[in-house]
This record gives sequence, structure tokens and C-alpha cells, in this order.
Amino acid sequence: MLEIKNIHKSFGPNEILKGVDLKIEKGDVVVILGPSGSGKTTLLRCINFLEKADQGHANFGDIDVNLNTATKKQIHTIRQKTAFVFQNYNLFHNKTALENVTEGLIIGRKIPKAEANEMGKKALDKVGLSEKYDAYPSELSGGQQQRVGIARAVVLNPDIILFDEPTSALDPELVGEVLSVMKNIAKEGTTMLVVTHEMSFAKDVANKVVFMDGGVIVEEGPPKEIFSKPKEERTKQFLHRVLPEDYIFYI
Amino acid sequence: MEKYFNASYIWESFPMLLPYVKVTFLVAGLSVLFGTILGFILAAMKLGSSRIARKIANGYITALRCTPSIVLLFLVYYGLPAIAENFGLLFDNVDKLVFIVITFSLQFAAAMAEVIRSAYQSIDKGQFEAAVSVGLSDFQAYRRIIFPQAFVVALPNFGNSLLELIKEGSLAYTIGLIDVMGKASLIIDGRFNAHALETYIALSVIYWVISIIIEQVFLKLEKIFSKGKQVIKTT
Amino acid sequence: MDFKFLVDTFFVALSGVPIALIITIISLLIALPLGFMLALTRINKIPVLQRFAQVYVSFIRGTPVIVQIFIVYSSVPLLLTSLFEKYHIDKNVYDINPIWYAFIVFSINTTAIMIEIFRSAIGTVSKGQLEAAYSVGLTNVQAFRRIIIPQVLVTALPNICTATVNLIKATSLGYAMSLQEITLRAKVAANVGYNYVEAYLDIFLVYLILCSLVEYVFKRYEKRLSKYKTAHA
Repeated sequence: MLEIKNIHKSFGPNEILKGVDLKIEKGDVVVILGPSGSGKTTLLRCINFLEKADQGHANFGDIDVNLNTATKKQIHTIRQKTAFVFQNYNLFHNKTALENVTEGLIIGRKIPKAEANEMGKKALDKVGLSEKYDAYPSELSGGQQQRVGIARAVVLNPDIILFDEPTSALDPELVGEVLSVMKNIAKEGTTMLVVTHEMSFAKDVANKVVFMDGGVIVEEGPPKEIFSKPKEERTKQFLHRVLPEDYIFYI
Repeated sequence: MEKYFNASYIWESFPMLLPYVKVTFLVAGLSVLFGTILGFILAAMKLGSSRIARKIANGYITALRCTPSIVLLFLVYYGLPAIAENFGLLFDNVDKLVFIVITFSLQFAAAMAEVIRSAYQSIDKGQFEAAVSVGLSDFQAYRRIIFPQAFVVALPNFGNSLLELIKEGSLAYTIGLIDVMGKASLIIDGRFNAHALETYIALSVIYWVISIIIEQVFLKLEKIFSKGKQVIKTT
Repeated sequence: MDFKFLVDTFFVALSGVPIALIITIISLLIALPLGFMLALTRINKIPVLQRFAQVYVSFIRGTPVIVQIFIVYSSVPLLLTSLFEKYHIDKNVYDINPIWYAFIVFSINTTAIMIEIFRSAIGTVSKGQLEAAYSVGLTNVQAFRRIIIPQVLVTALPNICTATVNLIKATSLGYAMSLQEITLRAKVAANVGYNYVEAYLDIFLVYLILCSLVEYVFKRYEKRLSKYKTAHA
């Protein structure tokens, strides 16, 4: 469904992505792990054209675009097929929760307002915010804001949702509510590409884990394999650092 | 257009105008001096606990903010002697400069009151508490901890107010002060209103250069004084 | 103090309010969109335009309004005269209503102020807002119109209010273009009997009322626009 080939991206002299290939099938939940600075976030941003890759291709089923030379129209088409959940939520400050969710429907997709409102309310219900339709972002907790952010992505019914460290700006006690919402939408068969540090999510929900380091994919496979018997030394070291000693035996 | 406009008049105007920049600066300097003192008093009234004082200060600042300089200037120029007359004083021989300095001091004070107040309020209350907690007296806490920090915050706004003052000061020519602006009017009169444009271009260049210099000086000052602050920003 | 004159002249001064307001409104209508666009050229670092905007703002902010008025008032007629001569248009430049010069001067002046206001206001809207708008499928224009501009306006509003008050005050310099606004009307009335103190008191009052009203209206509008900011859980 989505195939990315050979993405390269540099910021000045620093090469962040050194040729990344990734293949995602419909219904996949792919989690990208890796130390900070390994290029995970940049990869996600390049797929949505929030950064312009230096080279690389993306194949979205029927269309194939060059990530460096894509036209405005192609970029717009890809963005209509994808949705993005930001680390710091990026809810529109001047819009209520419901307006945040319906903005893309009404303006981006030209869906009639009444219908969009119905869809928006359903999406907010799904993330457990039935009480907060008319709340402004400033009235919501971080966890609630991020759930609105997820509803805003889900409601567009995109081919894939890109999650950029959706829980790392949250207080620890709020992480759970966001993760459980993500689990639910994964169960519904949504295709997801998730950058996260939440090992439990990778273990329980993902059907594929990708380990990135130094701008390349070091290793990828089902979570069980990656966590219990990683092949590459760099993966082993990373898991050793981030997981409690006895964690692997739980799996 | 050539017969009406002759660039050589621009060059000719500079040496005639430049000596009068002194007068412009004199007006600005005196107004800053008196205006800042009055501004401190007004800011203290605004921050103080007396409700009446606060109302008076607020009313004064609002009124001055809403009054065009030229209106204030003439109000002072005509009004002050009229008031003085009631007390049996004669203002006939008072220099025009006095009225002008009074006008712009009053105006600058209103601006400074706001600059000082917002600078003072921008300083975290904890700074004062910390100072007192290590054994400084109230006065020492203000002098050594609060004032230096508030000063840095106030600096750019003070610079802006000074620029405004110098520009608004140009209106003093309307009651006959010969500063750089007044001299320009005299030059134009002397040329029987011909080549006014060239003279005004020269005049605008002089004001422009003064503004740029003041702006740069304040940017430098800000850099020098805000050393402690930058550390906070980067961490 | 001549109280009858004081009261009569108050209404004379008041009759100059429409002209002051027309000039203010026209100048704002021109300066707001133009200032916003030029502010964008500075933020997006568009080569020639941003340099132009920078020098333009620096000159306007660095020179007194009265000097700007004199420059426009003495240069535009010169330009027009030579244009009329060249194309044999039979029209006297001195028949032009001075309000046109006022429109020119105050639009030029206010645009420069707006560039600065918008430049700093746009800076306060985070890049993430634009990215989020793109991510839900909005185009550039849609993102600006629906997400960025409403937020920029709220941040800019207090400064726009100050600029508007300053603009109204600056129209008092219209006397230099023989413009029949508040100050000139009252002053002319005072010329008859030398009641300058009364006249300037009236002028002072009119500006005080006018500017207080404008500030009040802006405050109300700001409250309405920024409801999303002041809201608390």
C-alpha cells in the first residue's frame, strides 16, 4: 500500500537519512524505534512533505511520487491520503475541539458542514471526548488535546496515519489514555506508522517493528523477534539500554 | 519636472540644517530628563496602594495618550500663560523653549510611566523574596536585584519612546522654535517656497540618520546589559 | 474664559471628526492587507521585496510624520504638473482636494507600521499550526485564511489599536495640507477673537473622546476574538 524507497535527507552538513526503504501493507501497525537523532521523526515528516527530502520515492498504491520534485498538486494528493499526529498536538488554537476535527473535512474535503459535524462528533466520541466538543485547546489537558489530535486524523479516514512520538510531550499519568485510544483504532484495522518510545505499545500492538539508527534501518521484523532475539549488535545495545533487565523474558 | 526639482539644493541644505540638530537634541534631552522623573512618580502612583493616586495616574496617561502633540503644545503655549495670569504672573518674556520642554516632558512622562510599570511588573516576585531572604534590605533588594533586571526590560521601550519624542519634537517649529525642522522652514521661506521638496528631503535624511544611530545604540546597550538574561534563554 | 465660545467651538471641532475618521479608515483599509503581505515577504525572505520593505519601514519609522506630509505635499503636485504638461491634460493640480494627499501620506505611513506589527505577530504563531493545517489537507491559502490569520490578528490587535489611535492623532497634522479636520476647524474659529485656549481645550476634548471610543471598541473586539485564549478549564 505504501512503499518508500531510498529517502535521503540532510540538514546542512548533517545527513539525517541515508537511504531508507520501508514497505507498509494495508492494516499494518508499524512502530519505528531508535535512539534520538536516528532520523525517525524526519522520515515521518518527509513522507508527509513537512520536510522536503533530498531524494527518494513514495508509492501510494496508484500513485508514485518523487519526494524531492513532487508538484504542489501531488503533495496535496498525498496529504489527503495521509494524516499526521504531532508530538506537541498542534491543535488549532483558535478552534474548538469539534472545529479542529471538522476543519479538514469541511475545508480540505468540501464535505457539507452538517455531515462533517456528525462525523466529527463520532470521532470525538471514539476517543472519549463526548463532553468536550466545544472546548478550546487551552481548556484541555495534554492527554485530551492529543486525543483530539488523533480524532482529527482518524476522521479523515486516511490510507495511513503517521504518529510522531504522540506521547512524549505528555505527563506520565496521561500517557495511558492516549495509548489506549491508539490501540483501539489499531484494532479497527487502521494502517499506522508510529514513532514512539513506548515499548509496551510496540510489543502489544505492532505487527512490525523497525529499528533505526544513524539514518538507516538497522533491523526490522515482528516485535517478538526484534525484542527477544535481535540479530544486530546495535539493536541489542539499544534494547538493553531502554528495557529493564528482565523485560525480554516477559515476551 | 527637471525645472522644478534640482538635487543640488539637497546638498546645499545639509550644512545649513546640521548646526540646528543641537537644538533638536537639547529639547529631547531636557524632556527626557524631566519626563523620566515625572514618569517614575506616575509609575509609583500606578503601582502604589492608594486608589485615588492610581486613578489620577491612569487618567493622566489615558488623556496624554489620546492627545496629539501639536494640540498639547498649543494647549501649553496658550493655556499656561492664561493660568499664570490668574495668579498675577506674566509669562510674556518666557522663552518658547520652556513651553516646548514642558509639553514634551508631560508627553514623555506618560510614555515612561507605562514603560517603567511594565518593566517592574515583568520581574518575578520571587526575585525580591529571594533577595530579602539572603539578608538584603528592601532598598538594597530594589537597587541591586530588581532595578538592574527591570532596566534591561525597559531599555528597548525607552529607546522607542525616545525616537518618538525626537520625531514629535519636530512640531516645535509651529510656535517658532528654530531647531532642525524650524530651520528647514526658514530656508524654504528664504527661497520663496521654491525647492521646498529638496529641503524636506535633506531634512528627512537627517532625521533618518539620527533614528538609525539611536536604534543601533540601543541595540548595543541591550546586548551589553542583557548578558545574564541570554544564559536563561539558551538553557 | 469664554464659555459660550467654548461650547460653540466644541461642535465646530466635532464637525471635523468625519474627515479624521474617513482618512483613518481608508488608510487602514489600504495598510492592513498591504502591511500583512509585505510582512510575509520579510518573514519568507523574498529577495528584493524584503529589502525594500526593510528600508521602507526604517525610513517611515525614522522620520517625523510632518516631514512625510511635506514631502508628499510638495512632490506629488510636481509630479502631476509634469505629467499633465506631458499629456496636455487641462487640469490645475491646485484644484485637487487635499484629502487625496492625506490618503497617500497616511496610507504610506500606516503600512510601514503594520509591516512591523504583523512581522512580530506572525512570529508568535508556531510553525506547527501551519504543518497541522497541511496535514489535514488544507492548501496554503486555506491554511492562512482559516488558521494563521485569525491567530495573527488576535496577537496584533492591541498594537493595531495603538496604531489606529496614533493615526487619528496624526490627522491633526492635516492643517499642513489645508485639510478641514478637527484641529484646523477649531483653530480657524479661534482666529476671530483669539480664544485659543478655549479652542485647544475643545480640540483636546474631541480627541480624548474619539480615541477613548476607539480604544473601547478595540478592547471589546479583542475580547470576542480571543475567547479561545482566555478560556480556562
